[in-house]
Amino acid sequence: MTETFRPQEAAVLRALAAREGAAAVEEIAREAGLDQSPVAAAVVRLAELGLVEVEEESREELRLGSRGKGFPGGEFPERVVARALRELGGRAELPDLPGKTGLEMKQVGESLRWLASRGWAKKEGKTLVLGDPWKDGEPDLQADERLVSRLRDGGPALREDLAAEGLPVDEALALLGKRSGVIETRTRRRRFVSLTDAGRQRVAGGVEAREEVTELTTDLLVSGRWREVDFRPYDVTLAGPRVSLGKEHPFRRILEKTRRVFLEMGFEEVESPYVESAFWDFDALFQPQDHPARDMQDTFYVARPARAKLPAEELVERVGRTHEDGGDTGSLGWRTRWDRELAGRPVLRTHTTAASIRALAADPNPPRKVFCVGPVFRRETIDYKHLPVFHQVDGIVIDEHASFAGLLSLLGTFYRKMGFERIQFRPAFFPYTEPSVEVFVWMESRSDWVEMGGAGVFRPEVTEPLGCRVPVLAWGLGLERLAMFRYELSDIREIYLAHLRWLEEVPLCRS
Amino acid sequence: MPILGIALDELYQYLGETLPPGRLEDELHRFGSSVEGWAELGRWRCPRCGAVTESAEPGTPPVACDGCGADLREVDPPAEDLGTVRVLRMELLAVRPDLFDPPGLARALRGFLGMEEGAPEYVVEKGDWSVEVDPALAGPDVVRPRIVAATVHDVDLDEARLRSLMKLQENVHWALGRDRKLASIGVYDLRHVSGPNLRYRAVPMDGVRFVPLGFDPDDPEAALTPAEILERHPKGRAFARLLAGARRAPLLEDADGGVLSMPPIINSENTRVTTKTREVLIDVTGLEDRHIEKALNIVVTSLLESSPGAYARTLEIRYESGIRRTPDLAPQEVHLCPVETSRLIGVDWSGEEVAALLRRMRHDAEAREDHVRVLVPAWRADILHPRDLMEDVAIAHGYDRMPAVALETATYGGPLPREGLAAAARAALAGQGMLEVMTLALTSEEATYAKTGIPDRDRHVRLENPISVEQTMLRVSLVPGLMETLALNLGHPYPQRIFEVGMVTFVDEAAETGAREHLVAGFALAGDGTGYADARAALDALLHEMGTDPAAVEYAPVEIPLFLPGRGAEVRVGGKAVGILGEVHPEVLERYRVIHPVAVAELFLEELPGC
Repeated sequence: MTETFRPQEAAVLRALAAREGAAAVEEIAREAGLDQSPVAAAVVRLAELGLVEVEEESREELRLGSRGKGFPGGEFPERVVARALRELGGRAELPDLPGKTGLEMKQVGESLRWLASRGWAKKEGKTLVLGDPWKDGEPDLQADERLVSRLRDGGPALREDLAAEGLPVDEALALLGKRSGVIETRTRRRRFVSLTDAGRQRVAGGVEAREEVTELTTDLLVSGRWREVDFRPYDVTLAGPRVSLGKEHPFRRILEKTRRVFLEMGFEEVESPYVESAFWDFDALFQPQDHPARDMQDTFYVARPARAKLPAEELVERVGRTHEDGGDTGSLGWRTRWDRELAGRPVLRTHTTAASIRALAADPNPPRKVFCVGPVFRRETIDYKHLPVFHQVDGIVIDEHASFAGLLSLLGTFYRKMGFERIQFRPAFFPYTEPSVEVFVWMESRSDWVEMGGAGVFRPEVTEPLGCRVPVLAWGLGLERLAMFRYELSDIREIYLAHLRWLEEVPLCRS
Repeated sequence: MPILGIALDELYQYLGETLPPGRLEDELHRFGSSVEGWAELGRWRCPRCGAVTESAEPGTPPVACDGCGADLREVDPPAEDLGTVRVLRMELLAVRPDLFDPPGLARALRGFLGMEEGAPEYVVEKGDWSVEVDPALAGPDVVRPRIVAATVHDVDLDEARLRSLMKLQENVHWALGRDRKLASIGVYDLRHVSGPNLRYRAVPMDGVRFVPLGFDPDDPEAALTPAEILERHPKGRAFARLLAGARRAPLLEDADGGVLSMPPIINSENTRVTTKTREVLIDVTGLEDRHIEKALNIVVTSLLESSPGAYARTLEIRYESGIRRTPDLAPQEVHLCPVETSRLIGVDWSGEEVAALLRRMRHDAEAREDHVRVLVPAWRADILHPRDLMEDVAIAHGYDRMPAVALETATYGGPLPREGLAAAARAALAGQGMLEVMTLALTSEEATYAKTGIPDRDRHVRLENPISVEQTMLRVSLVPGLMETLALNLGHPYPQRIFEVGMVTFVDEAAETGAREHLVAGFALAGDGTGYADARAALDALLHEMGTDPAAVEYAPVEIPLFLPGRGAEVRVGGKAVGILGEVHPEVLERYRVIHPVAVAELFLEELPGC
């Protein structure tokens, strides 16, 4: 099988295959006619594939330092000074020397120490006197001078190479001692690459090079050349840019889930007007006309339109009589006068039960299952847990065989579908249901039961005037509360006065 | 719902037993009473009327005396601190005023917990006192025509008992009496009442003077006329509305013409009940007999329940139309069908079982051949229909023990067409990268018209009793809510793309209730470089998704202050206006402090053909 590699990798493998043992990266680069860095990258990848082994070696490289580079004509200043002294007859006044040597006074001054240590000259007052080594002519270059000269002519070199050339490197460095800036040493790492056994086997099977590209382009696709190239792998662990998408409101998803639950259970969806007559909002539900909930304190009354039409006279009559003395329902009634004027006042619907009762009146014949999700209005001042508008779900089951126990089972199913595991039922009171029940769910975060909604069997005073003689199970539930628990909101206003950041952040799956 | 404080020591005293912690709350929840928690209350005695009032802060006297309304932080001499008491805080269940005080609640619990069953018996003797009722009370000068009364003897009233009697009176006023309108109770020390013939009559507003409860009888200025009481006495002012329009005041007088009370406002000072009182007269006035009878029965049986050995005597109430005797503690007989009860509740019970459950709820009940004969106690105000007894049966059985019964009602469900339309519009807009917002359906003229420059066509639904200037009408456009949302998010990165799909409401004479909702989709695009073309593109895409034929769509220039001149349009489909779009005028943007261009649009979805 012929393995394919990127061109640089192939070049490295070929270079290694052609020689015995290891090769330095720069040698391979030189042989392959490539820059060092792609070769180095190829080596890293081949090493990852287990085809080559890399050994690192560190060696000392010597080069001229800044002071060394500044030596005049590559000569140490003390040699220049000594030569001038000799020419001047072995003695010279210090101040004259710059003129005689072409050195600066500073360089001359610095050279005094080294003239002395080499024994080439010594200072007597302001006079410099030539030493013995120079009496018989100019002495040979000393070890440090030879090293500087070599580096100046041949450029930086490894210490071991210089030694191999016969230079007394150790002696030179000892001479230079504390003389800083003449020679610098730095550590050079060299990587030596050699084939592993796996690499040798792979090379034996033949090495084929392929071009590597970053992007897949239309050209590559149209020409079919994509088959001949390799695509540079990406670092798939890197983060991508953040995308914020258009999506439905988190509370919408609760409303939709609620609708879905009832649709799944075979309920028919209904609606009722936001501007509702007191008749359908209260009277048809046997809510006494002096009930506190009907107060201007709690209910929004509507100034325009000023009146709502009442339904068929016969129905209005039956509802009114039921309030006053029970009518034909067998009830005592509320024993107060019923005023049709009040029934015709328009209000903003205070509960979605208005939709349920309208649906029941429109068709009281069993079996029917009906629900409504929508906004309701209460005269509440806006604060962290109250709004004058909020949403409810309401539902009814009209069925000859329906029972209170069946209602509890249905509510249990609903709340479990909405994600609540522990449910508790407690007796309660509502004017239009009997028996009545309040549903509590266990809220782990609060370690307490939280009231979630009310339910019951519609009273005969509600159903019979509408021509319904079978049990009607009914329930209603506020949905914002559910949303607040689901999204851990501490302020109900977050739903309606929304921060786009929140809308973006709540995951679609959390509803 | 008002909160009732039941003193724990009193409750256990009447219960005759102490329950372990937590058990009482559990049982009350099972019984249908909602426990809100516990509180330590301070008790303060009013130096003026002697009434004891509770204070939520034990160290501070309450603002108003329950008896006479005096400010107990200001009174001189100061109110007397009677120490603290541990109370159970319960929500008042308006339909069960018989549970409003420790004796009544204990009576119900003794049955529910199985300590007693059936109804307790109370001693009621025929008395020789009477109340003569003035027919003028039936109107037109004043409408408070009905009265019932009772005397209770050998009562034992300590501080606590006196206070809870006062509290019971207040709460029954609220629950049964609809704030004294339907029933107003007076309790008097019988020693200070001259019998046997009392008079309940209508008097001129300035015809009679008496010292109202809480005023000093030795102060010559303290005797007031009815008109003055309505003006000056705290209770007079609080309840004056109940006599609004009346030209005469109802007055209860004793045989010597001494004033007992001016219902439904205030009693007189000199018949005030104290801890020394051993015999009381109780009257309840109102509009019709059922409410006032129930109120009387609840107060009378509470006194009888709390004072062993006490007994009641009846009075004759003499109307022009005939004579009645009260109190009438005879039970109400109801026949309950056990089969129907079983079917409705969903548990299979025999007649015997139903009767036993009802006896736990303190009814007298026995199974007959095909029904259960139930004698509903005279203090139960909530039994209007046999159905109410079925609930008592269910509660006695326990809601937590109801069997699981699968609902077998087979029906085909389905969504509203309108919801499908809304979902399609939401998908079309979210698909264009817009975030859905939901804004309040209530708004104001200011926010709708003045701030946005949308013309006021005077078709909005206006509230009669708004609760704030910010919510005075139902919205007619989604644009103000979208703009407010942008204004709330000035610090959020731009571009911002938001939409809402929701209802707007217009007055509509043809509609049954005088107004009609319309489903609208609206959006706002904000950010540098955003303009008319972006809104147009987005709206065209929405129209496409709603199935609108592009050939039927026209855009016509529209000049309204919401838009920059020449950059607003009305969308018409088949010649009918269905929406607007345009670039928001900088003047409008400044009002919202938005510093990036904004383009908005809204579309009436149900006006589109085929939708």
